[in-house]
Amino acid sequence: MSSTPAAAENAREARGGKPPKDFDRPRFLRVLMGLFLVWTFAPIAVVVLFSFNSGKSLQNFDGISTQWYSDFFGDQQLRESLIASLEIALVTMVVATVLGSLLAFGLVRSRNRLSPVTNVMMLIPLVVPEIVAGVTALLLFTQIGLRLSLTTIILAHITFSISYVTVIVRGRLAALNREVEEAAMDLGATRMQTMRLVVLPAVWPAILAAGLLTFALSFDDFVLSFFTTGEEVQPLPVRIYSSIRFGVTPTINAIGTLMMLVSISTIALALALPRILGRRGQTVLIGKDAV
Amino acid sequence: MSERRFAGLTLLPGAGWLVLLFLIPLGITLAISFGVTDDLGNAVYAWRPENYSQVFDPLFVPVLLRSVGYAAATVTLCLLIGYPIAYFIARFGGKYKYLLVALVVLPFLVNYLIRVYAWVAILSDEGLINGILKDMGMTTDGVRFLNTPFAVVGGLVYGYMAFMILPVYAALDRMDSSLIEAGKDLYANGWQTFRHVTWPATFQGVLAGSVLVFLPAVGDFVSAQLLGGPDTYMVGNLIQQQFFEANNYPFGAALTTVLMAFLLIFMVFYLRSAGRASEEARA
Repeated sequence: MSSTPAAAENAREARGGKPPKDFDRPRFLRVLMGLFLVWTFAPIAVVVLFSFNSGKSLQNFDGISTQWYSDFFGDQQLRESLIASLEIALVTMVVATVLGSLLAFGLVRSRNRLSPVTNVMMLIPLVVPEIVAGVTALLLFTQIGLRLSLTTIILAHITFSISYVTVIVRGRLAALNREVEEAAMDLGATRMQTMRLVVLPAVWPAILAAGLLTFALSFDDFVLSFFTTGEEVQPLPVRIYSSIRFGVTPTINAIGTLMMLVSISTIALALALPRILGRRGQTVLIGKDAV
Repeated sequence: MSERRFAGLTLLPGAGWLVLLFLIPLGITLAISFGVTDDLGNAVYAWRPENYSQVFDPLFVPVLLRSVGYAAATVTLCLLIGYPIAYFIARFGGKYKYLLVALVVLPFLVNYLIRVYAWVAILSDEGLINGILKDMGMTTDGVRFLNTPFAVVGGLVYGYMAFMILPVYAALDRMDSSLIEAGKDLYANGWQTFRHVTWPATFQGVLAGSVLVFLPAVGDFVSAQLLGGPDTYMVGNLIQQQFFEANNYPFGAALTTVLMAFLLIFMVFYLRSAGRASEEARA
């Protein structure tokens, strides 16, 4: 390392100087870590706690009740929004996972002139700020005269989900041991059979995880939906946004808590699945990991 | 069919989708940014470069500068808070290391909108903190937290903190901790060891974290919309207004293009310095 001589020089200077400070001791850092965790979790805890408040106040906790949850499920419009959000997330998950996985396979296995260009094009959506994504999608739909609706939201969500799937699945594909496939084909399997019986089972956990992540991202998305939503049925985050602008209500606490539950459990499942599936006797197929 | 041909075919649906729904829309945005609105308010293709001089109108320049300033402040605060947290987890986390990383990531899985809303519920005039302050008799009229730059930047820091902690943590975790021991053996004190050993070894992580925080922060409009007001609006709010209030799509497209161009230049600088740093590390 280039800085070592400088460090040594400084050390020499320091030798006669003050005793070393306790900068590196964990006590100060431990306090900071504690404060950090309070700061991170307190706001979320407040939302969850007050979603069970029997009163309307956001200042005093009057007692436990689930009335804001029944308010939410009793509201026709909000129920429609919830269903719309789930619908969008589900369709996005299926289409983006299929397209993204195929794209990953193509990028790993084909070596034609198009693949480096495609690779760059696939990575850009990951770094584009959400508002840019929203504006470009909105302009596309208005310029080609497509009426804004759930369909336009789904189209936009798929576009910005493909890259996540591709990146995740590509990692798994690149780690595969190709010799297993060659062996399968030597034993008379067709390319399709090899894909179905050898490649797919090995990549499956990654595909599932990517799909679940896509579902969570789409269900949670606000900015892209905000720009591409129509007037009639709006997804849940857009609905929440417009009601927050008119003031804070306890029902939003309840919706927020429910949304947290959906996204955290989906992502937890996405993280856990590859491990659960990976353990079941697939070591032979997984290649690199098994070595 | 050879494997390569087959793989080339599987590339097509996804690539085609991205061309049609990502690349072409980028082109449309660029084209519309030179356009005009007709009498009905629809965006029409035209040649009106004045849209761009309007972006740099004295009316809007403060908003652009404010966006960059808020984003830079967000990066700085994320670094000042996030680095020690990452350092603690990587060096002293012990058997709780993965638990602590999970705790850092967990709130991040909660919808950004909900997390910003949580701060509205806490900081608003009828919010939790004002309630506590009134109960304690420290204030009668309440304290105004919202509509201040502090609230907006605070929302951004809260929203994007994990983007800083994770890459810095990864860099610290990768770093050979015997380097720190060596520094101490050479009589460097804690600060000197940090300054000459730890910081250079983790600088790439810091750079990556800064970019990951800066990119979404500079284009954010939710925090300024919910925690701030017209005096704290960022470029994202300005863009959003063109599409939902002013109905001036060409100007909105020009603002979006300027934002993209700015971020592109920023990314090029980042990639070049990252490339140079990894070359130095190899040398």
